[in-house]
Order: sequence, then structure tokens, then C-alpha cells
Amino acid sequence: MATTTATITLSSADLTGDALSLSSTATLTKAGTLTGLSQTTGVGRKTTTATSQYILFDGDAYANGSHKVYLKNTSTVATEFLTIEINSEQMGKLYAGDWAFFPWEANADTNDIKITPSVSTSLTLEYALFIDE
Amino acid sequence: MATIKANLSLTSAAVLTSPLSLSVNADLLVDSGSLIRQKVKGVAADTNDLCIYIANQCSERAYVYIKNLETELENYIYIHNDTDTGLVAKIGGGEFAFIPVSPDKKYEVYGTRVDQMVEYGVFGNDNSANPYGGS
Repeated sequence: MATTTATITLSSADLTGDALSLSSTATLTKAGTLTGLSQTTGVGRKTTTATSQYILFDGDAYANGSHKVYLKNTSTVATEFLTIEINSEQMGKLYAGDWAFFPWEANADTNDIKITPSVSTSLTLEYALFIDE
Repeated sequence: MATIKANLSLTSAAVLTSPLSLSVNADLLVDSGSLIRQKVKGVAADTNDLCIYIANQCSERAYVYIKNLETELENYIYIHNDTDTGLVAKIGGGEFAFIPVSPDKKYEVYGTRVDQMVEYGVFGNDNSANPYGGS
């Protein structure tokens, strides 16, 4: 079984008088077990050219589980963002150069992950999905 | 203004035939933020939720790091905002998430059991009209 690890580090020397230095590592496992996730989309990219809402991952296409999602807005234009909606709930706006990592339950066909670009010019999202099936 | 370096590393020798080794970094320009460790009292949405971000606490954009400190994977924490109907994320014990949040929405957390411990941090540009600790 594959072992995939995710490590986040958050650091700042100037946010407060007490320097921030956080590191956390998690092994990506299936829901409620220590079994590693063995399927993935790999790291891919999607380029959008309209401000329409796109379905990035279809909730109906994956089993109810603890999938893990990585997203990055590769734009270098600071004002360009992607609004992320998950399970019909607005998560937030991913601005240029920023990334997100989170688990995704996908327990119903309505639980899509959708993205809405802020611009109709070319905007590229990098993504990876680690699948719990 | 301060800079937070947010780095994510995803590695695996076996999930693909080609080893996975992804590392991304974002330099976030923010003026406020801190880490907090608290207990989550609520076990159902909208009843004793732990508020981790109040609406308009930050202006323009904000980021939340949250880790479920439970050792049991099946003791989940659930993140939702107070205006939509679904879940933003369901995080198992020992897992973490780093997500952007919509500055004008309130984000709350409940858990599988009473008094689950979470560690979280909100980073962004503080909105003085809505300081943390408001409602």
C-alpha cells in the first residue's frame, strides 16, 4: 500500500514578537483506518478562459471517503483568484500563487468541488486528488 | 506588514510509478494572525460550535490552518460557514487543512465528541471594525 505524506510548514519572523515556526506532517490515509491512499489523479493543471463555474471534481464520481485535495493558483497577477466551492459551501478565494490542502468527503453527487475564475483570460489551476477507494 | 511562508510538501515513493515529490511555497503578506489551541464543545452544527473566524474579521483575504489534535482518526472535526448548507471540510484525527476563507463569512467547527482539541490559526489583514472576539 502506498504511503503518501503531506508536510506543512508555516513560518514568520516578523508577524509577532514570538517567531512563528510550525511544522506538521500527516500520512494520507483512508477514512478511519491507517491504510494509505493508493489512487491519485497525479499532479495536473486546468486552464480556464471564462468566468463560468467549473466542476473540478465530481462528487458523484468518487466514493464516500476521506480524499485529499491539493490546489494551487499558478497565476502571477496578484488580483486574479479562483473562488472555491465545496459541497455547495463557499470555501474561499485562492489568490495568485497561493495554495490549499484539505480533506474532501464526497459523500453525495452534490458534493462537487467547483471553481470560479475571477477573469476570463487564461488562468491555470494546479491540482492533485488522492483518492479514498 | 509581515510575511508568512507557507510551504506544502507532498511525497510518495509508491502512489505513482514515478515518485511524487511536490513542494510549493507561498509568501503571504499579512498584518495579523496567531495560533490558538482550544477545545471544541459542539457535536452538531450550530449548537456550541467553536467559531474560528468571524465574518469580516479580515479584509480582502484570509487563510486558516487547522489541525485536529485527536489521535483517533474517526474523531472528526467539521468546518462549515454560517450561511451555506454544506461542509467545507471533514478532518480526521491527526489530519490538517490549510484553506482560504471568504472574509465576509463566519466559519465554525464542531466535532465527533465533546472537548476535542484543535489547533488553528487565522492569518490575514485585520479589519479593525470587526476585531477577533466579536460575534
